[in-house]
Amino acid sequence: MKLVNLVAVVDLEKCIGCKTCERVCPVLAIKVVDGKSQVDTERCRGCAACEQRCPVYAIRMEKRKEPILVGVDVDSVDYGKVIELCGKAKLNPEQVICFCTGTRAEEIAAAILMGAKSPEDVSFMTGARTGCKVECIQPILRLLEAADIKSVPPKGGWQWYGRTVTVWEIPEGVRRKHSSRGFYFDEDEKLLNRVKEAPLQGRR
Amino acid sequence: MRAPIPPIPPRKSQYGIDPSLVKKRVCELPGMTSVLIKELFPDMPDVIYPSDRGIETIRKATEEALKNVDMSMIKPEHSVNILASHHGFTLLGGEPYAEMLKTLRDVIQARTGCKDIRLRAGVGLRFRETEEYIKRYGLDKHFNGKAVGIAPIDEGIPIETEIGTLYGIKKAYDADWIVHAHNSDVREVHFHRQVDRAVKPFGMSYARIETRSTYHQNMGPRAANFVARAIFDSPFVQKKFAFACFLTVAPNGIIGVDADNDLYSLNDRITFIGCRYYGKMMTLLGSIDECIVALDFPCPVVYVFAGGVIYANFAGANTDLYDLDDVPLPSYTWYTEAFYGKKGKPLLSDIPPVNPAIKMCVHNYAWVGYPSVFFSEHIPTIVVGREQADLFNRDPQNLNYMKHALIADDLETAMEFAYKVTGTRKVLIFDGAIGGINVSEPLAEYLLKKAPEVNERVENELLPKWLRQRGVDLRIGEDVRKKYAVRG
Ligand code: SF4
Ligand code: SF4
Repeated sequence: MKLVNLVAVVDLEKCIGCKTCERVCPVLAIKVVDGKSQVDTERCRGCAACEQRCPVYAIRMEKRKEPILVGVDVDSVDYGKVIELCGKAKLNPEQVICFCTGTRAEEIAAAILMGAKSPEDVSFMTGARTGCKVECIQPILRLLEAADIKSVPPKGGWQWYGRTVTVWEIPEGVRRKHSSRGFYFDEDEKLLNRVKEAPLQGRR
Repeated sequence: MRAPIPPIPPRKSQYGIDPSLVKKRVCELPGMTSVLIKELFPDMPDVIYPSDRGIETIRKATEEALKNVDMSMIKPEHSVNILASHHGFTLLGGEPYAEMLKTLRDVIQARTGCKDIRLRAGVGLRFRETEEYIKRYGLDKHFNGKAVGIAPIDEGIPIETEIGTLYGIKKAYDADWIVHAHNSDVREVHFHRQVDRAVKPFGMSYARIETRSTYHQNMGPRAANFVARAIFDSPFVQKKFAFACFLTVAPNGIIGVDADNDLYSLNDRITFIGCRYYGKMMTLLGSIDECIVALDFPCPVVYVFAGGVIYANFAGANTDLYDLDDVPLPSYTWYTEAFYGKKGKPLLSDIPPVNPAIKMCVHNYAWVGYPSVFFSEHIPTIVVGREQADLFNRDPQNLNYMKHALIADDLETAMEFAYKVTGTRKVLIFDGAIGGINVSEPLAEYLLKKAPEVNERVENELLPKWLRQRGVDLRIGEDVRKKYAVRG
């Protein structure tokens, strides 16, 4: 859940139409049309990715007159399915995925169950990945994959490239070769398994 | 008691309040004093900076360190990317790191005849931070306009590794050669646990979001560091890697410059320095029984410094952050933060609480640009000034920070409140004081009394264990002694 209190505003005089903003927006809310950038203000989740990367400082973040509360109510889906999806992604439903918005795995799973087909949809529906824009892409991709959704990165965009390795997938040879140098693969795998299985606090 | 040490001044930045709004520094309050790091631990190495020889000493040390480095692979017609990170600019005001970068460029050009030398400076979660430093320290001019900040959402490049495809920032690698220009300050020891500290930027500052997320979400707290090693060891990076040059730092200042074509040798040396010297400060601060913490430094909440230790480390100092066997999850890491359930309790009963010695946090001056709600949620926090509160409420990474914090009109009111509510007079100030730490008098007495026993314990019991866990031979200490002015 996120209270979106900012919105991106483009200074058209300054914009050179380079499309950087379009390539980094995690919810595809900004687009270059006829050489100038345009913000879909209803879609914008106020993450400031565009403002932080525009090479000519053409974007500023403004306070919204009316903030928008975005989020998915986990009670509107079958919680058994949420548990199943999170389990498949090796996540505890209650673990926090996005540190900036406090979005938990269950909410992302619920968004997927309600039709999210890509990280962009997930971010648009939940607000996750519209804070730091960095740390939560992998668990989002893991949850989409667990739902058998094959998302493809936005064409020409830099939003994301692909899911990467998890500790469960580290090859045996790599574990053996490197474990004496302070890399605790087996132990951390056990730890993450315990987290995955930990009892839920919030319900039932 | 000694007078407080002048703190690092507030810095103009889009990530902090205007310096004019920082009306008073915490160390200026009555009852504050300072303790020198060398008073606590006389065997800390001698520093080359700060010193009366000024910044020139950094240039000299860099030139000296580079004499042992092979640069013959760089030809005049080649291009070189000097890879840097934001963190270096937060050390001792930033000038030493900037000077090392400038010297690196000059020496590479003089030795190889290569002219296409660029600076690519990576960031954490404040995407324009190094852009600010590049301007501030005249790096754009020194690099003839070829100095840029690079961010994890910039265009990426796939890197094939022994654990599959990971992703780097394309601009970091768009040259024939890369030079890894970093520092040995431990900073995020809660994350990297002093495992492959020298390699970490390959998985962070020079890496895309996919890689950073792998580190923080896919691997576990002690396996995560392998992400950086996998990238560094990849044929793609090995083909481009020329050498590394590090500002070596101890809690009391810059102790030298280390450069090597073999990053892992350099890594072993800085692992020793990190464990031995920072380990002592960390263990000493971890012994504090109760205190008020004051944040007063131009950096995000987690990164404010006291004696080389950052607030995020102090929040976990009730556990031994260096102990990989017995402390799987420190009290604060992103894994730990993720593992608090909906009732606000840890999902596993063996997750340690946030350092219970911290009775309250007075947030006089710290920046946004790092998700910090965990701290205001777990530690009673009072923020000075409405402008600062407003800044946090506008930061997409901190929309919930102020939900759990109080606001005071001024520093005096905040401190009075903290004294009254906590009942302690011990105050630890994170203000980047160089060569020592600013504290209240009762805490100064406490630390001076405790330090000798901590010193003994680290030398005899903890250091051998920490190095063993990392596969680093204790005898590496000999190399370190030869390189730096180290006694004992
Ligand atoms: S990044 Fe800036 S200059 Fe480029 S298209 Fe967007 S608004 Fe225009
Ligand atoms: S969601 Fe973020 S990147 Fe997209 S338009 Fe809004 S502020 Fe810009």
